[in-house]
Amino acid sequence: MTLKGTIALTLVAALAGGSLPAAAQGPIRIGASLSLTGTYAKLGKNQHEGYQLCIKELNAKGGLLGRKLDLVMYDDQSLPPTAVRLYEKLITEDKVDAVMGPYSSPVSEAAANVTEKYKKVMVAPLAATTSIFKKGRKYMFMVISPAEGYLEGLVDMAAKRGLKTVAVVNEDTLFSKAAASGAVELAKKKGLQVVFTEAYPKGNTDFSALLTKLRAANPDVVAAATYFDDAVALTRQMKELNVNPKMYGVTVGGDLPEFYDTLKQNAEYIYGATQWEHTLPYPGNQEFFDTYKKEFAHEPSYHSAAGYAGCLIYAEGVRRAGSLDADKVREALLKLELKTALSPSSGRARRRSPCGPTTSPRARRASRRRPGTHDRTRRGPRRPPPMPPPDQTAGLRRQSRRSKIPAMSETTEP
Amino acid sequence: MRLSPAVVLPALAVVLAALVLYPFVGTGYGVRAMLQIFMWIALAGSWNLISGLTGYVSFGHVAFFGAGAYTGAILVASAGWSWPVAALAGGIAAALLALFIGYPCLRLKGPYFAIAMLGLNEVLRALVSYFEGLTGGGNGLSLPTLDATRAIYYVMGVLAVAVTAMTYAIITSRFGLRLMTIREDEIAAEAMGIDTFHHKLAAFLLSAVGPGIAGALTARDQGYIEPLSVFPLAITVTMIVMVLFGGKGTVWGPVLGAAALFVIQEIVWARYPYVHPLLFGAIIVAVVLLMPRGVLGLLQLKYRLPRTI
Amino acid sequence: MSVVVTPEMIGQVVISGILSGALYAMVALGLALIFGVMRVINIAHGPLLMLGAYVTFFLYSRTGMNPFLTVPLAMAALFVVGVLLQRTLVFRVVDAPELSSLLLTFGISIALVNVAQNLFTSDLRAVEYITGSWSVGGVALSKPRFIAFVFALAVTGAAFLFLKTTRLGKAIRATSQSREVALVCGIDVGRIHMLTFGLASALAAGGGALLAVIVAIQPEMGGVWTFKSFLVIVLGGAGNYPGALLGGLLLGLVEQLASLFLTTQLSEVVAYVLLVLVLLVRPTGLLGGRQT
Repeated sequence: MTLKGTIALTLVAALAGGSLPAAAQGPIRIGASLSLTGTYAKLGKNQHEGYQLCIKELNAKGGLLGRKLDLVMYDDQSLPPTAVRLYEKLITEDKVDAVMGPYSSPVSEAAANVTEKYKKVMVAPLAATTSIFKKGRKYMFMVISPAEGYLEGLVDMAAKRGLKTVAVVNEDTLFSKAAASGAVELAKKKGLQVVFTEAYPKGNTDFSALLTKLRAANPDVVAAATYFDDAVALTRQMKELNVNPKMYGVTVGGDLPEFYDTLKQNAEYIYGATQWEHTLPYPGNQEFFDTYKKEFAHEPSYHSAAGYAGCLIYAEGVRRAGSLDADKVREALLKLELKTALSPSSGRARRRSPCGPTTSPRARRASRRRPGTHDRTRRGPRRPPPMPPPDQTAGLRRQSRRSKIPAMSETTEP
Repeated sequence: MRLSPAVVLPALAVVLAALVLYPFVGTGYGVRAMLQIFMWIALAGSWNLISGLTGYVSFGHVAFFGAGAYTGAILVASAGWSWPVAALAGGIAAALLALFIGYPCLRLKGPYFAIAMLGLNEVLRALVSYFEGLTGGGNGLSLPTLDATRAIYYVMGVLAVAVTAMTYAIITSRFGLRLMTIREDEIAAEAMGIDTFHHKLAAFLLSAVGPGIAGALTARDQGYIEPLSVFPLAITVTMIVMVLFGGKGTVWGPVLGAAALFVIQEIVWARYPYVHPLLFGAIIVAVVLLMPRGVLGLLQLKYRLPRTI
Repeated sequence: MSVVVTPEMIGQVVISGILSGALYAMVALGLALIFGVMRVINIAHGPLLMLGAYVTFFLYSRTGMNPFLTVPLAMAALFVVGVLLQRTLVFRVVDAPELSSLLLTFGISIALVNVAQNLFTSDLRAVEYITGSWSVGGVALSKPRFIAFVFALAVTGAAFLFLKTTRLGKAIRATSQSREVALVCGIDVGRIHMLTFGLASALAAGGGALLAVIVAIQPEMGGVWTFKSFLVIVLGGAGNYPGALLGGLLLGLVEQLASLFLTTQLSEVVAYVLLVLVLLVRPTGLLGGRQT
């Protein structure tokens, strides 16, 4: 019995122990929990590297408010309940000066309950579902464009080309559902007929039956709200089951360099939504790409770029506020217009309650990205695309962008 | 080593008093961590009731946790119930589920029962995702913001005490002896005239209530649940490992196992973000190989402790 | 938004079901072997399959070897891993209560996955060797899946032959029927256990190697295969080897038809309900013997 008592008491002591005030003028400690293991491990790691790079660069430039920056990192295993506990630990136990967002919509949704409770500003660079930012949350900032708009470009282009029918499939999770419902809404608005919708569970690898039904519905366009794994599986099985829509687009997946590495020539002619592209002429973008590649020995994805930019945005907010005080930083962030590697002006952090069309970076970026400019630079001689001509890639990009692809196409050409 | 009530009761009282006062001195994280330990005690203790006592390995016990979480969350979010009542409803829902699933599944033996329970969990998750009108499906269910961590701390604490007390009551009763007879030899138990099926069913129902309530409380505390986060196999396995670590079929084993393993996990988690699953795996292997009877089992062998510990 | 189901569509999913069913059978046969001989449920079966898939991936991407030819290599590599696992860890829980073996193999399983995450990263990898399909009477027959199906049948057939005709195979079956009698007959049971675990791991690895050609692979791919293999051997009758084949095909078909007539989200529910129904009627599976 006494054994148990001792353990419990030691435990209480241990838990109370960490609450001593930190030294006043040490480094600024920024806390975050990311999905380093679990289902989002790959994307979470990219985001982690984005944070690391940002902090390294800020420190090289002398830090923030004259203090160095320090990143306190935990792994939430891609699980929302773990993230809740870890953010509480970061804020009350580690006494970090600021927090940055986790990866993915569900995890951010859960973590936001904690950061709001303690009135901590949280820039959540990779939470794209708008519902998270409503609910009267005051201190949370969104960086990338909303999930509902991920498939907007695809549907838009399809409508312009006079295509008539669309099938929408999605993984049954927060972000993908929002992207799918956004696509369905928009398709209806644009006069396209939605002929087939179906959700599949997360982790599903066999799409035969779903694709058989989809093929029977014979849509012109297939819009798939995916994370990465399912985008790959879906694409492969479409080939195997002879599902050949006139246009096919995915959300997360098509934008990652790994999508091409994984699928090789099967990745071509697929539309993917991206939040960022390394060839975009944004200030500091090329430098970001080069340093990142040197630092981590692989190319950044938009998750890396968003993490990097989110951290810069927060830092800029602090610099303008001249303090780490949450309310002042929040005010500064609300007024901020910032050009980062992520985009020309969409770095303007928004608190997502008034979200009109003008605040949609996708719309802005679409108009800014001159058709074909960066496309041409990356594409060598290759087969003519069967369907959409290159002048219609606005807002979306075709998965065929890396220099090794042309060589590949030539060798695989009969 | 004799443990007289004169030593045990004051010690218990001191621990309880410390735990009651803790929310007033602890940090937000500290309170939440203790809350989690209470939750694990309730979960591990409940699993111990069915699997520790009767030997039927429930490999999907998190199903009751998830069922309770969704029942509680739906009642709070859609019907506007207050959370303590919704938590009770979560417990009742879990018990009903146990009744429904117990009839076919408890007739299965050994690994067949384990796999059936594992399947039950997968099915519940799929059903919760499918009936999205009620549950929000893959979007999850978001509850209105409410900072009730301290109140939930106390309720969860009471739940942990209740489950432990119930275990003590059962182990010291004739009912408990019959359950343990089933564990040692079910055919012999039947031959002695024990209605094994109904005894197992009763233990199964009791073991479902705790996780149901804990699920509903957790849902309220987290404010957001989704199918993937309330039905993971990892929760089942964690509660099993906790019981095994402390000592299966004992009163204090789940308590000891839950507290110790949770603290170990938190420390490992913080230090080694990329390799903690490997370390957790190693801990499991070590526990299974080195002390299959758990810490209390080892102590019992060494010191002749009373069986009711 | 539903679609009217035509006979052609049913034909399509039946083919898909049979193609994946053979893979289920091959992988599940491994689990059935271990369970039959040692009464151990090996949760690490899925992660072993994952390791097999990585063997194929690395051989293909580093040496450009035909991925189908890597199947025997992956099987051989994992045979060794299986024997080592049995020799160092699993043999200690063979006679312990089932909970010990469940937990031990679960511990091994998460450790293997984590090691793979750190060694191979969580990146999705694929062997993009052959894609597309043949059209057979309006039904698409996926090329990689069909070749994998043929390989799976061949390997499963070879495993059956081995068990049926060779002395070692007979020793394995004898051990699974009665360990004591096998011992009395002079069979080295410890060695048979190692052989069984190795063989089972090789079957899992073969499944993984074939999967690498069909789907993209990553360290956490195995978990779902452990679960499906369980379903298969319980359906067919745990410890009964032809039962694994029947169970595999049945699971493949049920999953596909449920996804076709209902939705992909409910296919698992239907498979489980079927499992419970089968167990209620025959508590030891379709081809299972008397209850032990």
